Amino acid sequence: MAAKKRKGAISTQALVLGGLALVLIVLAVVFFTGGGGEKVKRFVDANIPKPPETAAAPAATKAVTLFFISDDDDSLHKESREIAAGPTDADEAERALAELVKGSEKGLLSPLPPQTKVRQVFIAKDGLATVDFSRDIVDKFSYGSSSELAAVYAVVDTLAFNFKAVKKVVILVEGSERDTLGGHVDLSRAFFPDYSLVAR
Amino acid sequence: MSNAFGRGFDSRRLHHDRKVKNLRIPRTARIAARAALLAAAVCLLSPPAARAGQDRRIQTVVIDPGHGGTETGAKGRFGNLEKDITMAVGLKLKALIERNMGFEVVLTRDRDVDVSLENRSAIANNHKAGLFISIHANGAVQKKAAGSETFFLSLNATDEETRRLAYLENNGTDLQNHIDPSTDDDLMMILWDMAQNAYVKESSRLAELVQIELDAMLGLRNRGIKQAPFKILRGVACPAILVEAAFISNPDEEQKLASEDYQSKVAEAIYRGLARFLRLPE
Repeated sequence: MAAKKRKGAISTQALVLGGLALVLIVLAVVFFTGGGGEKVKRFVDANIPKPPETAAAPAATKAVTLFFISDDDDSLHKESREIAAGPTDADEAERALAELVKGSEKGLLSPLPPQTKVRQVFIAKDGLATVDFSRDIVDKFSYGSSSELAAVYAVVDTLAFNFKAVKKVVILVEGSERDTLGGHVDLSRAFFPDYSLVAR
Repeated sequence: MSNAFGRGFDSRRLHHDRKVKNLRIPRTARIAARAALLAAAVCLLSPPAARAGQDRRIQTVVIDPGHGGTETGAKGRFGNLEKDITMAVGLKLKALIERNMGFEVVLTRDRDVDVSLENRSAIANNHKAGLFISIHANGAVQKKAAGSETFFLSLNATDEETRRLAYLENNGTDLQNHIDPSTDDDLMMILWDMAQNAYVKESSRLAELVQIELDAMLGLRNRGIKQAPFKILRGVACPAILVEAAFISNPDEEQKLASEDYQSKVAEAIYRGLARFLRLPE
């Protein structure tokens, strides 16, 4: 009787162990196959669907205001530019920032290294815009406090000034969060626009 | 995140957690309880200066020579690096303070090595820094940019308020019988901001006095005192400033910054500002 019970216990144990092993295997498969690019996903996951890719660029344009720096002072200076319009704010924001990187047409200076690429802009419903720049934004320039502040706020002000939906901005580099661009300005929190830096 | 707070902060936080776990909150008074909890936690977290006013005894000054190692900081046209200038000024300032004041001085680095910003603030917090001075040389895209300036932390009031409200909105309705803020980053961030708020006044006063001396000794354009969201200042649990001695991106100022005589002047100016700050009546 005791032996029989023990035997029963053993087979139950084996069943449980087998079950656990199965669960582990499933978990391992999920672990190794899923979860790529988790960091980026966190921001992209929110409710807004990606806009459909349109084949032909729309002919409509939109005037945006870019914020550059000037050789003559420490302020940000406005310059307007026509960019292709739509389909979404995020698409326009990407184009506006690409123009900011490209530089001024009126002799102002871009605070961002010219090699910088705008990888993606995402605008969430709560007004948080997330901008993802290529690594060049940190690799191609040695920032001091002034140039780092100028780079950050040229981006933040350009987005907030042109897009009503944008209330604050987070900057990512190569899809990930970063402490700073060059050892000064804290990138771990969202920035509100600061128009006090803009020349009057 | 908690690394940056260092030991002092963590021990307070443990104390705080224990209290909170026993707290029972009636469902009908969730928001009120929440506010009371915040207030209590702020009392526990707030700096001694804000709490009592009398035990503001500074024993340790932490000096932070900016950048270092592979992280060179801004570069000058003649090849001078920000990290070397900040190191030289930092060592001179340490010597001045040790010779003339009764404080322990701790450097966040004493040679050319990489030290992360988290570790720098952890060093300050672990040594229970009474004052924190970060030394930098400025860099701008504009070659003409010139002068000295002193920064202290900008607390984004809008940001803080927004987060506080969002937190109450999100957590006011689904609150259970007890709260465990040790798992709640938002709450910790709000508390940390509130604790830092208490230092801002002293930081701005120290910045002001140091900037007056820099202006008097260096004969450069006086760019004044400014606030900025600098990472290093955000992590330190005491009054903290960041000094930009001059622009390494400006060829004239780069050559000045590279000379030992000028580096001594910068150290002397910061030292004098510090001395004036410490003699201030509370």
